Amino acid sequence: MSEVLIADDSEFMRNLLREILEEDHQIVGEVENGVEAVETYKEQRPDLVMMDIVMPIRDGIEATDEIKSADPDASVIMCTSVGQEEKMKEAVKAGADGYITKPFQKPSVMEAIEDVVPS
Amino acid sequence: MNVDIQSLGTFNQLAHEGAEQATASMAQMTGIAADVDVTKISLVNREDIGEELGDREFVGVRFGYEGELSGETVLVFDSDCTETLVGELLGGSPGEEMARSGVEEIGNIMMSGFIDGWADYLGTTIDHSPPEYVEGTGAGILPPAPADAESDQVFVFKSRIEWLEESVEFYIYMLPEYTPLAEVMAEHADTESDAIPIDKLEVFNEMTTDGTERAADNVEMMTGIDTEAEVSQISFAPIEDVPKQVGNDTYVGTVVEFTGVPSGFMLVLFDEASARTVAEAMMPVDVEGEELTDQHKMAIEELGNIMTSGFVDGWANVLQTSVDHTPPRLVHDMGQAIVDPLAAQVGQHQEHAFIIDSKMVTDDVAFESEIYALPNEQELRQALDELLVERADETEADAEQIFQE
Repeated sequence: MSEVLIADDSEFMRNLLREILEEDHQIVGEVENGVEAVETYKEQRPDLVMMDIVMPIRDGIEATDEIKSADPDASVIMCTSVGQEEKMKEAVKAGADGYITKPFQKPSVMEAIEDVVPS
Repeated sequence: MNVDIQSLGTFNQLAHEGAEQATASMAQMTGIAADVDVTKISLVNREDIGEELGDREFVGVRFGYEGELSGETVLVFDSDCTETLVGELLGGSPGEEMARSGVEEIGNIMMSGFIDGWADYLGTTIDHSPPEYVEGTGAGILPPAPADAESDQVFVFKSRIEWLEESVEFYIYMLPEYTPLAEVMAEHADTESDAIPIDKLEVFNEMTTDGTERAADNVEMMTGIDTEAEVSQISFAPIEDVPKQVGNDTYVGTVVEFTGVPSGFMLVLFDEASARTVAEAMMPVDVEGEELTDQHKMAIEELGNIMTSGFVDGWANVLQTSVDHTPPRLVHDMGQAIVDPLAAQVGQHQEHAFIIDSKMVTDDVAFESEIYALPNEQELRQALDELLVERADETEADAEQIFQE
């Protein structure tokens, strides 16, 4: 059972992701901006971060870059409504390991996680 | 062929002044006080013309016109207000034939004033046919858009006129043939400064339609409600008229500011009943009561976020750039109150605005949503300048492929 940190400014989306993930994974934290994501990652060192891109204070790409700089072995899946090619390239550059576009269905989330953090 | 911002403004002003002239004629004949509420030019798909008329019953007066510009104009009255109009003109209760004749004559005088302004501006004569009385439902009151091999899209000039004491509206539609209008616009374009190639404006309009379809798909995926993009158009209007486009109904929705080229604002708006319907379709449990709860608002906020992304991602991918946007801000207010501050902000840098207006509907449940975008005019022009028409279909990015490279 992987430990997962959820970073999304939408409470609705955090609830939805928790419902999808909690059967097979342990949710170690839910945060609503990039600064909290980095801090919580450093404290908890979860196996995986599900990271939104558009968040207040610090966006998900900057937060991913900072997490990956601190821990190159960190696993981060971008989980975002943004479907822009340039953003996807920025996410790759920041070190993201996967990319899921909202809205999503449970199978696509589980498949992306399995690719990044095999059970 | 190019069209420039200044000539779009001039043409819009011509239509507005024509509508004012027509309204003044009507007031003189009937004593009914009315005011031209808004005039806008829209670039719209041929089959979408008049969608906003819904399924109400209308009476109209149509004219054909010919000259440097050719096409048709229609004066459209709500059936309910026709009786009052004719009563004021003729007095008492005139017979059906006399009423028709009265409406035709009101239309004749109003529309002559409308057309004359165009002829004067173009320094030419524009002849128009005798008035034809028509009745119809919704868009059926309008003639088919003039066929043109050049384009599937047409420019439509539309004025909405408010009858001050009766809270009734009527409309003037001007449906010019595409090629003569494009030629006249091109003649008046200043190609050295702020010109936009018309074909690129059309491509952008198609991208907007794609964006609306993607947003509708996202709604369907999140709610299970079968949703369709109904109409999508780019309009051009003076900044002060922008809030009037949205009207005074109460809406729930989201506002985001997007940055990049172009920058601007995007609104996703639901009427209150639709907001409840879509939010509850997204919730795992039933919610009691009529009020919008925090759960409803959270759901709307996320839906607005996803719809906005679905809409702007296509622009970014075709333009090979990135368009960032702020997290969504929930709004719940009258339409004009929501749009006023945004228009004021956009209006600090420009006198006119392009308004991207899309609508989606469903047959199964009472649900309607509108998306408005207010891009910075100069930046939109720059973006269109850089737009490669051959990339128009490249609206979607493949994350899997990008992550494998």
